[in-house]
Amino acid sequence: MNIEISIIEKIIWSGIAATGFAILFNVPKRLLISVFSIGAIAGFIKFTLLLNETGIIFSTLLAASFVGFSSIPIARYKHTSPFVVSIPSIIPMIPGYFGYKTLLGIMKLAMSKNTTLEGEILMSVLHNGLNMTFVLASISIGVSLPWLLFREKGLKKIKLTDNENLI
Amino acid sequence: MDSSENISEKKAEVILKITSLLMTSGANTNRILLIINKFAELMNTDAQVFINHKALIISLFDTETGFKTTQVKRLPNHIVNFDIISALSRAGLKAQKESWNFDKIKEEINRIEKFKHYPRIITLVAVSFAGAGFCNLFGGDYVNMAATFIATFIGLFVRQEAVKRAYNPYLSTSTGAFFAAFFASAAMTFMPGTNPEMALATSVLFLIPGVPLVNSFTDMIDGYIITGFVRFINGLLFVIAIALSLFIVMYIFGIQKL
Repeated sequence: MNIEISIIEKIIWSGIAATGFAILFNVPKRLLISVFSIGAIAGFIKFTLLLNETGIIFSTLLAASFVGFSSIPIARYKHTSPFVVSIPSIIPMIPGYFGYKTLLGIMKLAMSKNTTLEGEILMSVLHNGLNMTFVLASISIGVSLPWLLFREKGLKKIKLTDNENLI
Repeated sequence: MDSSENISEKKAEVILKITSLLMTSGANTNRILLIINKFAELMNTDAQVFINHKALIISLFDTETGFKTTQVKRLPNHIVNFDIISALSRAGLKAQKESWNFDKIKEEINRIEKFKHYPRIITLVAVSFAGAGFCNLFGGDYVNMAATFIATFIGLFVRQEAVKRAYNPYLSTSTGAFFAAFFASAAMTFMPGTNPEMALATSVLFLIPGVPLVNSFTDMIDGYIITGFVRFINGLLFVIAIALSLFIVMYIFGIQKL
């Protein structure tokens, strides 16, 4: 199969995955189309970057920051929190596979009887665990990037009285 | 004197209800504080809130009557529901624009509290399609995707039944993962396709607690370290529950590689 068709297939399926999770999280009906399109475009960004041998962490960061920035105008237009649009769209990128691979490795390590293989298993545990942590961190940074960069407006809202910040 | 104290306590109760609805529906701490502050300002109060996973503490200073009250509320189990978050943030904007009074706010909160989820069959089918989508993204073909679809459907059905009977949330997730992985492994022998391992690997992905894990890191970025850590450990426990079931199924079927 040539690359273009497989990428288009992947784009559509990442949109469907995002919408499926949006329904599990009870996102209102009027937002489902936006979640589908943002999830699909984020999938496109991630897979084209992965094909060009950008690492999984950096491509996730770029896709997540696209989601973060595009969720703000959509949230304003649809009168909701940007959060409600961005989290379901980012869910297909959650490193669940790395997560349970790490724990399966730990369980294998605990039960192993062959000492020569243990070094290899330990390295794979470390590799998967670090990947999980960094991919999660890059998703969070990407989604909250607009918030972190244009903080001024948010801070004004957080301030309640003149001399005191909340918490 | 007595009645004004009562009013302040009622205000604190409403703010606690808003906070607990937001927290159990899966909002991050920053979003919760933004929405609470809007409502607190409308009620002419100054709200200081401590947010945690299982309980909330609020200290409310009523600028109208001059009373101060502190209340604590325990939280029920968390069930992600973005409809409630969306409705509350919308209500906050609307209330600010039209400067609602206390009774109007209370009425709106009571209405939002009763919001329902999608019908069960729609959720089941949609999440199963999402699982099939994951299988495609990980490189499975259409036979593998069908296997993942069936496994996800059964796994989610079992977990919903366990949640309905109010079992421990980690146990419910573990049981759901066991059934999903069991049927995916069985499908590996009957309909192998090109990439049979991927059907097993993606059949349990719908159980991964994405919202707590993402919220944990956003909370830590915003400086709410304790809340962030609590959410991360909570997410990690769900992942452990999933991995345990997966390990048992792989042991039963003698699958070495995943």
